[in-house]
Amino acid sequence: MTLLEFARGPAMEWSLIILVAGVVLRFAGIFLLTRHKTYFRTKGGSTLAAGLRTIGTRSAPTPDLEHRVRFSHYTGYLWHIGLFITVLFYAPHILFFESILGFGWPALPTSVVLAAAAVTLAVLIALLIRRMVHPVLKTISGFDDYASWFVTTLPLVTGLVAFGHLGADFGWRYETLLAVHILSVELLFVYFPFGKLFHPFSIWFTRYMIGGQMEQRGVRA
Amino acid sequence: MSLNREAFNKFAEMAGQLADMDTPVEMPDDQRVANAKRVMMEKMDAPKAAMLESCIHCGMCAEVCHFYMTQEDGKFTPILKLDLLKRVYRRELSPLRWMHRLYTRDVTIEDLEEWQELVYDTCTVCGRCSLICPMGIHIAAMMPIMRNAYSAAGMVPAELHLMDSQQDQGHLFGVGKDEFIGLIEQLRSQGLEIPVDKDKADIMVLTSVLDIMVSQDSLIAMIKIMNHLGYDWTFRTDGYECANFGMLSGDEEVHLKASKKIIDAAVACGAKKVIVAECGHSYPALRYEAPDIWGHALPFEVLATSEFLGQEVEKGTLKLKKAEGVHTVTFHDPCKNNRWGGVEKEPRAVLTALGLEIREPDSTGRTNICCGGGGGAFLINRTADYRQRVFELKRDQIDATGSEALVVTCGSCRLNFEVGKMKSNWGKPVESLVEMVGDNLDDGAARSGTGSP
Repeated sequence: MTLLEFARGPAMEWSLIILVAGVVLRFAGIFLLTRHKTYFRTKGGSTLAAGLRTIGTRSAPTPDLEHRVRFSHYTGYLWHIGLFITVLFYAPHILFFESILGFGWPALPTSVVLAAAAVTLAVLIALLIRRMVHPVLKTISGFDDYASWFVTTLPLVTGLVAFGHLGADFGWRYETLLAVHILSVELLFVYFPFGKLFHPFSIWFTRYMIGGQMEQRGVRA
Repeated sequence: MSLNREAFNKFAEMAGQLADMDTPVEMPDDQRVANAKRVMMEKMDAPKAAMLESCIHCGMCAEVCHFYMTQEDGKFTPILKLDLLKRVYRRELSPLRWMHRLYTRDVTIEDLEEWQELVYDTCTVCGRCSLICPMGIHIAAMMPIMRNAYSAAGMVPAELHLMDSQQDQGHLFGVGKDEFIGLIEQLRSQGLEIPVDKDKADIMVLTSVLDIMVSQDSLIAMIKIMNHLGYDWTFRTDGYECANFGMLSGDEEVHLKASKKIIDAAVACGAKKVIVAECGHSYPALRYEAPDIWGHALPFEVLATSEFLGQEVEKGTLKLKKAEGVHTVTFHDPCKNNRWGGVEKEPRAVLTALGLEIREPDSTGRTNICCGGGGGAFLINRTADYRQRVFELKRDQIDATGSEALVVTCGSCRLNFEVGKMKSNWGKPVESLVEMVGDNLDDGAARSGTGSP
């Protein structure tokens, strides 16, 4: 079995199993905890509606406070969107998804995807530097923050290296570079459920809950 | 109307001596740690766990926290203030505890000592951090758990611990039932009609130690307003005090005991409504927190003073004259009334009825910046510098509106502003909403007889 076959075969299968099992385990552990009952008379309207509304409204900071978090907010969107474009609209990636899902979708021109990947990488590097020097971020950051950055950035770097055949000077074949890229994605899958990268799954629940909790007191979250 | 300066100075002097008067809780260190961890685990539930699992360490919560804004020290980051709770959750309850135990340090007595400043001195539990978190983590709603844990560990700051003891004994700053009755008699001798200890009444009105000691004009104004409205109301000497230091310290036993006095008194007189004096924390302490600690719904409605006044104005039952001598005001929302209680439009309705132009600062209403003295911080002597810096942030914001006066509806906010004013020679008048209403009752529109609330 070649490294590429390993990456595409058992490594992919096991990384996806760990991803799914990890997410299920983490959710089960959280939601099997008890819930404290509320006895006070609620004040606002529907907590269901408020919770659902907050899922959307927390996508942007409340206007009064936006100026305080502008950099974090917009750079966050920038690299997430860049990453989605790179993952979902690069032609070879779509072929990969098609092999699993049975259907594909139109790709963006390679130059556009390449630009998106480059911007994403640049923003991620800037955010890493900021995390290391900003008085708040350097204080609250720990292993998970840097590990999460590493496993998110690595597939971008290995992808760009594979795209540019940049390993040729060191005698690395394209197949090897591709295998390393796939393995780096699998590392991301494996790490995903165990640290803060879990947030794409939990964000829907936490936003919903704060929306409902504040609505009970007549406060818009 | 204004603060009684002599009483204010006396109060400030007493407040400065609180720490020296306290008797610290004796307890072995390992017991303190065990107690704190036990409370943290008991208070954890699924929503809080989901929130603690979701922090991405973006740091946005710090950017809107008045203590970080004025100090720019990363240790004041709100989510970091919950770190001990997060560590206990991760090691003891998290689904990944087998993994977290490998690298998450257990909580120690040194940690508890270090975090005390973050839990009490530099967090007013104002809740602004909860409004900005993109993940929807209700950071401020978990801070009371930290305070509950500190109370169980016997590590509440001396000033708040002493106030806990006083509340437990039924007097605050030397003011108890006898002093309240004495004041009522004094006011009656001045011609005020004051119903006290009625067997049956639709509305029970609360007061606070601050009103009795320092802001008696607020108490007088409330009496005048209630008489003007003509409702069937009463004070009760078995349940008059709304301040709740148990909530501020984290001692739920004291919190419930203080709330139960009010609940029992209200039930005894069959009150349909209980009106909390101008005292920010007292409103959520009774309206929202007490039922959850007690485990029962309250058999009456609880209203903040500003909420009650606003409702009466909107119903058309409270007619007011145009306020004289001031035309433009800025209203300071007490965090505990607005962000923790949903009271926002009512005080503004009152100010509008007084003919005043409300000039809102940049960040107002639910995003209002705390005065700096909330959550009990006002009484903790060592926080004076922190509080003053927050006051200056707030002062600059208010000055930028160009309004002639600041209107508040919380005794602690008012005193914090007054202290800040003295220290920085700020000339802005700080007015009480209820006093402004009491001064401007439209006597020509006074209701006669007893109405229904």
